[in-house]
Amino acid sequence: MKTLRRIALYTGLTIAALTFIYPFLWMASATFKPLSEVGTIALFPSHATLDNYRTMWARAPFGRALLNSMFVAGTITISVLVFGSITAYSMARLRFRGRPVLNAATMGVLLVPGQLTLIPMYTLIVQFGWVDTYAALIVPYLFNATAILMMRQFFLQIPQSLIDSARMDGMGEMRILFTIFWPLSRPVLSIVAIFTFMGSWNEVLWPLLVVREQHLMTLPQLLTVFSLGGGAGSIGVSLASAMVLVVPVVIAYAILQRNFIESMASSGVKG
Amino acid sequence: MPSVHFDHVSKRFGATTVVEDFSLDVEDGELLVLVGGSGSGKTTILRMLAGLEEVTEGTIRIDDRDVTALPPRDRDVAMVFQDYGLYPHMTVRENLSLGLRLRKVARTEIDRRVAWAADMLRLEPLLDRKPKQLSGGQQQRVAMGRAMVREPLVFLFDEPLSNLDAGLRAQMRIEIGGLQRRLMTTTVYVTHDQVEAMTLGDRIVVLADGRIQQIGKPIELYRSPVNRFVAGFVGTPPMNFVDGNVAQKNGSISFTSDGIDFPFLSERRASDVPSGSVTLGIRPEDMTVDVLDAQSDGPTRGLQGRVVLVERLGGTSHIHFDAGPHRLLAAVSNDRLPEVGDAISVRLHSERIHLFVGDRRISSVI
Repeated sequence: MKTLRRIALYTGLTIAALTFIYPFLWMASATFKPLSEVGTIALFPSHATLDNYRTMWARAPFGRALLNSMFVAGTITISVLVFGSITAYSMARLRFRGRPVLNAATMGVLLVPGQLTLIPMYTLIVQFGWVDTYAALIVPYLFNATAILMMRQFFLQIPQSLIDSARMDGMGEMRILFTIFWPLSRPVLSIVAIFTFMGSWNEVLWPLLVVREQHLMTLPQLLTVFSLGGGAGSIGVSLASAMVLVVPVVIAYAILQRNFIESMASSGVKG
Repeated sequence: MPSVHFDHVSKRFGATTVVEDFSLDVEDGELLVLVGGSGSGKTTILRMLAGLEEVTEGTIRIDDRDVTALPPRDRDVAMVFQDYGLYPHMTVRENLSLGLRLRKVARTEIDRRVAWAADMLRLEPLLDRKPKQLSGGQQQRVAMGRAMVREPLVFLFDEPLSNLDAGLRAQMRIEIGGLQRRLMTTTVYVTHDQVEAMTLGDRIVVLADGRIQQIGKPIELYRSPVNRFVAGFVGTPPMNFVDGNVAQKNGSISFTSDGIDFPFLSERRASDVPSGSVTLGIRPEDMTVDVLDAQSDGPTRGLQGRVVLVERLGGTSHIHFDAGPHRLLAAVSNDRLPEVGDAISVRLHSERIHLFVGDRRISSVI
């Protein structure tokens, strides 16, 4: 009876997993299929070919877009971690005039939907003369209220005596943050890093608004322009370009998977 | 020259005054204990001395140098925290040496001091472990080692033993006392535990509501408390208090209260005692208990009571008894103890009686 139930359970789980994995695997295999085979449901191409990738690479600067995306998402992630943790540390552990206001303002930012600030933000970028620059892609995302609040929540749980001992040992506040708090906050830092990186990596709307030069485009933006604009020409090429977007994230996830799940779980329990 | 000097120091958080007009000299090499209940301001005083809390008013001098506005790192003090404050991601060795590395002490000197402290505190086998892998007592010793390697002018201890179990606490108390006597470093020690204060302190400062109640050697606080608070705070089990009146009767002076009529003064000292309402204080160990025979009426004057509870602790036992409406406690070392319900006669050792008018103790009542 027990075995039977287990078999049923695993069969159910396998079917569920397949419904998630199959489209992705099909997409991956379709990129290696010649044009005539793309429409078929088979997982393995009869004649594997890299033609779709070659066509894609030749028609649009995907290499450059990949580097742009890495640069933009990387800079934003580092900035959110560094500046965010500095802000979170001061909000959580320092006493200063205006701290309640800062707390309320940070919370308030969360309540405003992004779509609402899109047009004012765009106007601002135009007035700064930042259209078609990296600054337009990066600067608006250097700070993140959600990240600040998550880190603040975590920092609040670190015992005061650690800060006190560090001060007695002769550390300044920055040093306390980076040599004591950072090593102890790995769970929250990694979850903030992963979310920020993925969010920035997948962002399409904002780059579409502020960047028109092809050499400045990020990968998802170029992909959108390329596929929707008819540049791809065939579904195989479209899918190949989507693979270029997905693969780095999948690889990153595979590497960080344990950390990711741990931090999700631990931040849930502790937060 | 005093090693630490507080001059009219006050601390306010908003409208709340936590420490009020605190002045104190700590002598060189002395172990001074600040003791008081929660909210007495003792930890705030220590944190102000450490530089972890700003001083609202007044000045603090260490070794004749005004440190009031200096950050902790420039004060040459080291502190041991209640929860030890060890860096969990660093080994014991790193925990011990970090403060010295930040002060740019030479590598060889750091190694020498860490080895010295590790040897003194028996930490050598633990040097490469992380704090999590240590027991409470071991963590406590690492925290002390971290203070020692700094070779500071003043050690500060903030309730260092309150996270340990009773047995270990007694042992660490002895270790801290021994260590301080060997190093002869000026030490300010904060605790809420009066037993710790009595056993460790060269001098004790009793605090309540941010104010000094009394400063003195342990035995002075025990024998001559200046007020009811100190009398009740110092000593275990605590002093018994009975509110009543002093009145002249038949040429001698008696203390009377409901169910108690106790002559305790000879006529010639009668002028020293104000008449009217007073509080009598007597420590449990300053009473002698006699069981009364069922038939006899017992003494007509003095304290008579009925036993409500006997706690047998082995060496001494605690006898809780009712005298009139008053529930009192006597600590006796007899082997022959009364039973619950027995009528007893209690003699107070008259030279150990304390009289309080209002809150203040009247000195030399006897």
